[in-house]
Amino acid sequence: MKSYFENMAPFGKALKKGTIKRTQSNYEQVLDAEKKILAAVDEVKNAGLPEEKINQRGQMTVWQRLEYIVDPGTWTPLHTLFNPGDNVEGTTNVIDGLGKIAGRWAVVIGFDNKVMAGAWLAGQSENILRVTDLAERLNIPLVWLVNCSGAKLTEQEKFYANRRGSGTPFFRHAELEQEGIPVLAAIYGTNPAGGGYQSISPTVLFAHEKCNMAVGGAGIVSGMAPQGGFTVDMAEALVQKAKEHRAKPPGSVATHYDHTGFFRFVYKEEKEVLDGVRDYMKKLPAYDPEFFRVTAPKAPAFEAEDIMRLLPIASKTVYDFDDILARLVDGSEHMEFRPDYGPEIYTGLCKVDGLLVACIGNRQGYLGKGYPEYADYPGMGAKLYRQGLLKMNEFVTLCGRDRVPVIWFQDTSGIDVGDIAEKAELLGLGQSLIYSIQQSGLPMMLAILRKGTAAAHYVMGGPQANRNNAFTLGTCATEICVMHGETAAVATYARRLVKEKEAGRDLEPVVEKMNALAQKYKDTSTPLYCAKHGMVDEVVGLADLRHYMKSFAGAAYQNPKSICPQHQMILPRIIRDHAAAKEKE
Amino acid sequence: MSEDVLAPLSGKIVSLSVEPGAVIEEDDEILVIEAMKMETPIFAPCSGTVSKIVVKEGDAVEEDDLLAVID
Repeated sequence: MKSYFENMAPFGKALKKGTIKRTQSNYEQVLDAEKKILAAVDEVKNAGLPEEKINQRGQMTVWQRLEYIVDPGTWTPLHTLFNPGDNVEGTTNVIDGLGKIAGRWAVVIGFDNKVMAGAWLAGQSENILRVTDLAERLNIPLVWLVNCSGAKLTEQEKFYANRRGSGTPFFRHAELEQEGIPVLAAIYGTNPAGGGYQSISPTVLFAHEKCNMAVGGAGIVSGMAPQGGFTVDMAEALVQKAKEHRAKPPGSVATHYDHTGFFRFVYKEEKEVLDGVRDYMKKLPAYDPEFFRVTAPKAPAFEAEDIMRLLPIASKTVYDFDDILARLVDGSEHMEFRPDYGPEIYTGLCKVDGLLVACIGNRQGYLGKGYPEYADYPGMGAKLYRQGLLKMNEFVTLCGRDRVPVIWFQDTSGIDVGDIAEKAELLGLGQSLIYSIQQSGLPMMLAILRKGTAAAHYVMGGPQANRNNAFTLGTCATEICVMHGETAAVATYARRLVKEKEAGRDLEPVVEKMNALAQKYKDTSTPLYCAKHGMVDEVVGLADLRHYMKSFAGAAYQNPKSICPQHQMILPRIIRDHAAAKEKE
Repeated sequence: MSEDVLAPLSGKIVSLSVEPGAVIEEDDEILVIEAMKMETPIFAPCSGTVSKIVVKEGDAVEEDDLLAVID
């Protein structure tokens, strides 16, 4: 199949002098917006105690542990800004991402031991469940850096119980293990109660000699059975007991290595624990990437930084999607599927790090005379019409057959609406695409370049595809909402305006409400808001998109659950034969 | 030799970025057309001098209408 994969067509255009000149303002706006995202990330990194304080105790911080264990250049952070409970600590208190350890991809997650010694906080379990989902989606090991003091007792109602509460990850670990996905845990510090289950539920436990894990902690002063309330006299007695209380935390190495044997390995130094995990990763199964590569890896022909000029930060301005994609894929080469059909959508086979991926994205701009063919109105990119929906359905289905992971790029204003669009079956075709995605069983990732709107956000590989979408990225230009805020304001208040007008009342109060709603939409669709509430899993720099694509592709091909032999793939042949027939016409 | 700049789509002229007599380079923005809630910038197909701008802000244009001429 060399002739297919080594001779892909080049695409994309170099930046002209004029382009560089006129996009300078956009470039600077993107830089500025990305700086604000980085500032928010820095706040999370600096949450809790200073690094020096943790180091003075002879401990590494979670950030230092991550830096040590993850192979240089492979760390791919996710959920950094996720904080749906708006915790005062500024974090859900777990740090996670994809990374290679000893050359093998893993999902890596650790408790932030700078913040309340790694306690359970609101939003944390949802964060952890997304991480376990990621390991399941990509079929790669999950590596934990455990250092968990248990529940933040003053807020337990926010996370302790409930269907997706802090106990659910323990069932999820069991689920991963039943699917043959190992969970390795490096264990540090004191891990009572919830921390105990965080430590015991993984598959293999690597313990630091000073750590412990237990059903209950030593922090509960004994002899204080509930009395129905507290008095000052009781408080005095408590002061005395607390001063005398010297119990050691239960579940130390002496118990769980020497006696129960729960700890498989024990190490003297913190770094040795991580070395132990690293050595163990080498024992785990993983295909050499050469098994799946279709060509040698190749950098794109154009600079990734160009994307900061090519993607207008102003959401109404059209641009050339192909030029952006050409900066993200190997050699800036592709095999486009059905280029003469469904012009609002790009579908094609590309390579990332020599691995075959399917790319799907919204094209922008006027779509030409006579399109969409079912309507008497013109078609504009970013919207989805019948042909585009049909093309995506067909492409995703064939990707499923050929076992090609999919990378989606969204910048969409939604699916065409109105009775003409209904007669063109767009409602059914949108759900059909959902069905096609679900039945493909493929791992997918999504980058929302700018707009993610209405049902189009769902059907184009959105995070709602729980069984397929591994992670969703936002950029500094991302806006996610059901519709434009002004459209929503009109929909909400139009009838009220009519009533007020007919009653002879001042329209100004309603106008104020309309403006307030439009502003609310603006405030709740920004990249930072989307990341905080989990609508995207990370906001990344435009120049960093390819890094995430490489991590996704590498991880997806490490241990796929099914294989299609390259010489039995159908998509490359369909694409080439279609192009040849077109040339003959 | 002169080059005609035609409207690639129907819409409304929302902004002009150059004036007659301006010396421009290929790919400089000439004007912006708004249609279907999106803004399509029109770029210079070649370097030269803008000899004519035949539209103004607020004008409605049809696909293939003449917008400007570059010498």
